[in-house]
Parts: sequence; C-alpha cells; structure tokens
Amino acid sequence: MRIVGDIIEYTAKRMPKFNSISISGYHIQEAGANQALELALTLADGREYVRTAIAKGLNVDAFAGRLSFFFGIGMNFYLEIAKLRAARSLWHRLMQEFRPKEAKSSMLRTHCQTSGWSLTAQDPYNNVVRTTIEAMAAVFGGTQSLHTNALDEAIALPTEFSARIARNTQLVIQEETHITSIVDPWAGSYAMETLTQQMADAAWTIIDEVEAMGGMTKAVQSGWAKLKIEASAAEKQARIDSGLDTIVGVNKYKLDEEASIDTLAIDNHAVRDNQVARLKALRAARNATGVKAALAALSECAKTGSGNLLDLTVQAMRLRATVGEVSDALEAAWGRHRADTQKVSGVYAAAYDSAEGWDQLKREIAAFAEEEGRRPRVMIAKLGQDGHDRGAKVVASAFADLGFDVDIGPLFQTAEECARQAIENDVHAVGVSTLAAGHMTLVPAIIESLRAQGGGDIVVFVGGVVPPQDYAFLYEHGVKGIYGPGTPIPASAKDVLEQIRQAVAAH
Amino acid sequence: MNGGATMAALPAADQTLCDDVAAASGERRRRAVAKAITLLESTRADHRLRADALLAALPVPAEPALRVGISGVPGVGKSTFIETLGLELIAKGHRVAVLAVDPSSSLSGGSILGDKTRMERLSVHERAFVRPSPSGGTLGGVAAATREAIRVVEAAGHDVVIVETVGVGQSEAAVAGMTDLFLLMQLPNAGDDLQAIKKGVLELADLVVVNKADLDPAAAARAVGQLESAMQLSHGREGETARPRVLATSAIDPPQVRAVWHAAAAWAAERRASGAIARRRQSQARAWLQERIDAGLAERFRAHPAVRGLWPETLAAVDAGRLPVSVAARTLLRAFTGPPGADNSQN
Repeated sequence: MRIVGDIIEYTAKRMPKFNSISISGYHIQEAGANQALELALTLADGREYVRTAIAKGLNVDAFAGRLSFFFGIGMNFYLEIAKLRAARSLWHRLMQEFRPKEAKSSMLRTHCQTSGWSLTAQDPYNNVVRTTIEAMAAVFGGTQSLHTNALDEAIALPTEFSARIARNTQLVIQEETHITSIVDPWAGSYAMETLTQQMADAAWTIIDEVEAMGGMTKAVQSGWAKLKIEASAAEKQARIDSGLDTIVGVNKYKLDEEASIDTLAIDNHAVRDNQVARLKALRAARNATGVKAALAALSECAKTGSGNLLDLTVQAMRLRATVGEVSDALEAAWGRHRADTQKVSGVYAAAYDSAEGWDQLKREIAAFAEEEGRRPRVMIAKLGQDGHDRGAKVVASAFADLGFDVDIGPLFQTAEECARQAIENDVHAVGVSTLAAGHMTLVPAIIESLRAQGGGDIVVFVGGVVPPQDYAFLYEHGVKGIYGPGTPIPASAKDVLEQIRQAVAAH
Repeated sequence: MNGGATMAALPAADQTLCDDVAAASGERRRRAVAKAITLLESTRADHRLRADALLAALPVPAEPALRVGISGVPGVGKSTFIETLGLELIAKGHRVAVLAVDPSSSLSGGSILGDKTRMERLSVHERAFVRPSPSGGTLGGVAAATREAIRVVEAAGHDVVIVETVGVGQSEAAVAGMTDLFLLMQLPNAGDDLQAIKKGVLELADLVVVNKADLDPAAAARAVGQLESAMQLSHGREGETARPRVLATSAIDPPQVRAVWHAAAAWAAERRASGAIARRRQSQARAWLQERIDAGLAERFRAHPAVRGLWPETLAAVDAGRLPVSVAARTLLRAFTGPPGADNSQN
C-alpha cells in the first residue's frame, strides 16, 4: 500500500496525464475466480487504493480520473459483458464515499485481455475462435483497450504468425464489422440487464464481506482472498474433468491424433548469457558510486517512510540502476513477501461428478497405503522464475483429496533446492509444474540433482505448458509422465500412482 | 549399540541406514535421516519391528540436544518465527531440525504439507533439516512417530530440535510431552480472545510469546499484561515454581527473535543445571512407556479371539440395558486374561 500511495502521489503531481496504476482483476480470474469474485475483489482493491491516496493528503479529483482497471475476459460470453457493465455502475457507487467533484473521478476506465487460461494445447487452432469470442465480449462490454492472446500460448510463447493473427482479430472487429460504432449495444436487453443486476448484487455482497473484514489488505493478508479463489478454481477444474463443462477438443470431440504445430523455440542458455553480457556492459559504463548512493537513499526512504519511493526509483534508474537492484534495495528494508500457502481440500472432490473412476482410484491409493505403510507422497514444485501456481494448487488439492500426501515446495526454487527437499521429505515422486518455458533446462537439472543427492529412485513428472516436440527430449532425460493442459487430474493421478508402484517394485 | 536385551542385529540395509544417520555427512546423511523417519512413520508391522531395532541401535548424543516445542493458532506466525530463529541459531553454529506435526486431517484424504513454503530460506539451508509429517488420520500415530524422529535427528547431530504444531486441540499436549521447553505463541489481540485460549494449554507453556508486535506495539503490550495476569490465576506447569515469562516479539525482526531465544536459552540452561530438564525427560519417558503399554494392551484385547467371540452378544446386552456395563467389562476382561493359570499366549 505504501508503494501504491507513493506512485499515485508522484504521478498526480509530476505526470498528471499518466495512467497511474492498473487495478487488476485479470490475475484473479486467471487464478480461478469466477466473474463475480473477480469483479468484487478488483473493485475492493481499487477502493483501498483510493483510501490510501487520500490518507496521503491527495485530493480525490487529482488522481481518481487516472486510475485504470484491468479485467480478464473468459468464455462465458454474456456474463463477461454483464461483468463490465456492472463494474461501471458499482465503481460509481463506491466512489461516492469520497465525494468527488469531477464526474470523471467516478468513471471506470478499463483495459481487458482475453483469457490465457481458456486456451487449449489440444487442437490449438480452436483458440482463434475462443479469443475472437472473448474479444467481442470485451468490446460489447465497452472496454477502453484490449489485448488478444495468440493461439499457441497454451503450448509456448507466441510466434510471429500467431501474434499476427491475434492482432488481426482486433483489427477485424474494429475495422470490418461496425461492432464498435454503437456504445453499449446490449443496453435495454431484458436478459442482459437482468444479468448485469445479478452480477452487481453478487459482487456487492462480496465487497461488503471484504469491508467487514477491514478492507482488501486484511482480506489478502489473512489468506481469505486466496482461499476463495482457489476454491473457485478447484471447483471449475472438477466441472471440466467430469464433463459438466465442455471444452471442445479437450473433454469432448477429441482428436484421435494431434498434429503438431510450429512453435517458438527459446534457447534459455543463450537468453541468459545475452542478458548477463548486457548487464556487465551496463555496470561497466555507469557511475557506480552514484548508483550506490541512489539505491541507499531508496532503502532509507523505504525504511523511514519519508520521501517518495517512485521519485527515488526514477532518480536511481536515470543513473542506470537495474530493476533487480531497485527491488533489492526495497527488500533490504522490507524483506520479501511470502505467499501463505493455505490448503483447499474437499472442493475438487465435491464438484467432481464422475464418481466411479474417482472412487476406484481412491481405493487403489488406499490399497497402496496399506501395502507400503504410508500414502503415496508427492512434492509439487515450481522451479525458476515462474510464479504461476494456479495449476500447481489445483493439482495439489485434487491429489490430496484422492489420498496422496502432497508437499508443496516454495516458489522460485532452484533445481538443487527442490531435489534436496524432495529427498528430505522422502517423497515417492516430484511433479514439476511449468508454465514459463523453462522446462528444457530445469527439468533435466532436477533429475540430475536428484541422482547426485541419492534420490535417483524418485519419479519425476511434469505438468503444464510443454510443446509436443519437447516430449521426447524430456522422456529421454528420465521424465516418467507429462501432463499438458486439459489432462483430467484423475487420469494424471492414476498414471503417477502406476509410475510410483513401478519405482517401488524396482527398488 | 546400547546392548538392548532383546534386540536382534540389524539387517544389512538398516545397519547402513543407522551408520549413515550417525556418521555420514552431507546429502548421504540427509537421505538416511529422511528414510529413517519414513520407516518410523510406517503403519506396516514389519516396518515397526525394523524401526524399533533401528531406534535401539542409534547412538545417543553425548551432549543432549535442546528440544523445543512451538505451538499457536493458525496464522500466529509460527513458521516465520521458526525461519528467523532457525537461521539465527545456524549462524551461531547450531544444527537445527524442524519436525512439523499437522493434526488437521481429513477422513480419507491425504494431507497437504506446505510448511516448507513458509520457511523458505531455512528449508534450503544445508545445516537445517525440515520435515513436515502427514497426519495419517490419527493424532496418536503422528505424535508417536515425531517423538521417535527426535531421536533420529539427534543421532544425526542436530543439537536444537524444534517440534512445531498447530494449536487446534490435543496436539499441544502431545508436543509439550516430548520437548524440554514448550513455547506458546499468541497474537496481540489475544486479550479479546483470552477466553478462547484453553486454560490447559496456557498451563503447558514454559514461555509465552506475543508475536506481530510490530503491527501494533500498544496492543502487544496490553496482551502481554493480560496474559501475565491470566497466568497468575493458573497453576503453571507441573514441577515448575516460577511463572512462565511473557515476551512480545516480531518474528520478522531478527534482533527481537534473538531476544526471545536469549530468554529461552537462559531458562533451559538454568533447568539443565538444576536437573529439572533431566527429570522432565524421565517423567515424559515414563508417561510414554505407560501410553505404549496401554495402547498395546488395548490392541491385544480387541484382537483376542475369546473377546471377539463374546463381543457381539455382550454389546447387544449392554445396548438393550440387560447387562450392567461394569459386569460386561469384567466378563470381557476375564475372557482376555483367561481363567487363572491358563495359557493365554495366543497373540
């Protein structure tokens, strides 16, 4: 909140036309929240920011007009339109608490991005259609700006080709269809007005709940917000895995054989070497004492609370301080945030409706526990600079519901640290969740580390975004299972159990 | 070997495990400690026998380690406190083991063990060993294994052993019953919730720490006062004359955590010198022995063929009110021990 306050203060005074902060719900929806929850938490966030800025002594009209929102747009077409319409009305309602004089201060402006989570690795050209429909929902909802995702983003980082199609999706809507020539075209539709009202009411209830807790900071700190989102995510996954919700090409109308598509290959070593060289050159050319003094001043400001953080950051960066150095300077004063990992259990099992296979698997796991004297124990690890942990959380929750003991490793681990923890907890298997294209180096590294530390018998499997052409490489390096987006969790759990059985028998 | 009267020699694999725990270093020792704890936790009968033999063979450290129990409600900051404390102790040259007991079990599911995510730096430190244990359904089972895991990490040279548990019921008593010093953590708003702290739990504490004092120092000071006066009314821990100290701290601030440790270490040194810790360990061992015997007897009683034969009709008679409970119990116990002089070694 200190950072937010300083940013709003600095931009209001020094760069009044700049959109000071983006109040984001995108990550909340991508992490699994439904539309009402995303809307409520985002608006509650915004309210907290406004309060922070006013507490700093700013006049509400000096900054409120430059606040900007950021929503995710998923596949539920009508609800996404209703969400954006409800957002405007609720934000106006919330802002009256601060008695703004300018009309602009109560107007919600927003950016939207089509959902990355809704993209599938299976039959990926379908993603063009999905993105188009989501983009239209955003436009119908009256978004001020839009980001469309590329068709291959469930598999890899986008190619030139896939990025062009994504951009053209917007251009077609904007320039060929006349969709954008009417403001709020759904107004007056009985169905849409009702949905908008229901959405607003549902979100308002949650906003009240947050308020009763003492505001959004408290709701986040206590872990309440995260828990709500994770419960919603587990429920959604179970609806998909059990076939209640359809995803074409994933749980219905599946292809017998997936054709592989060309994806962008990234050489992690080269990227890293290149960046290291650039940093070296930068450090050699800049005024080292000046940078050091500027960073020290920033740390001091963080510690004492006097001065403006953004002001000092700008000064340090003008001297060519790096982003890493700036955040280190803040960390020196404040320490590092640690996400509290709470446990959602029972939600997945409750929503998963295909009881037969589920119960059968539970019995198999119970039988394993009986034979071996303990439950199958699995560590779910995120490696490297990849903080996307929705998938890891959902898998952990479902595996525990099935009867696995599940260790969750800290975010941003090195391969060696991950191997050490796996051995220390004496797990049967390590599941590496990867969404940031680091698997080609990190996964072999963890297998290597496990062997070096005497844990060569531990089964390694991979979940997340892995391009099909990388599968062979990973299997060669000893990976026992790869589960891409859309793999039903019970199917992956069954396979993991089987691999563990084989490893135990071989030992 | 300590020459246990009935212990057979260890099988070769377990002998290697034992040697690795006691004498190896680095990753080899880490893996051996991990495997030994898994063996202790196993529910298989043959594993239990191997675990007993292993425990008997493990060396006892010449200089006893300090066993510290830490408990408090979820969100009080136990893991953060242990992270800061553990790193401080390592910096002073100690080797720290953390055994986390999680009693929150679901009926049929497994556990989610997230302790390491909250001890990010300690859990990757080479001088630390951090092991969360799944609940496995029964609290007694976890507590039993943890009590024995303490011996394993001590044999591996860890001289400070921290046993962490969430304060949600009986687990505090179990942890207080296996450690030298029981530290209870409280939130600064404890004053409001003092009713909610079970009096029995407060009576287990050797040291009470009010955490998160950085958020609201005034509230923390108030909580310290309220806890101190609440303790005036309680008995204090058995065998202790002095009231436990109550300290305010902030788990994210190393100097404040150091101050807590200073108080804890002074407390322990004094009681070690006076023999109070040795006495506490003796009485813990005796209670543990009694508990194991009771559990073993109960298990044998239920498995006894004569008891099982009589069980349905006796139960039905009790249910219907035809048979007084005391008579039913005596009948079943007599079936268990058999008539005087008879051979009853069926088990």
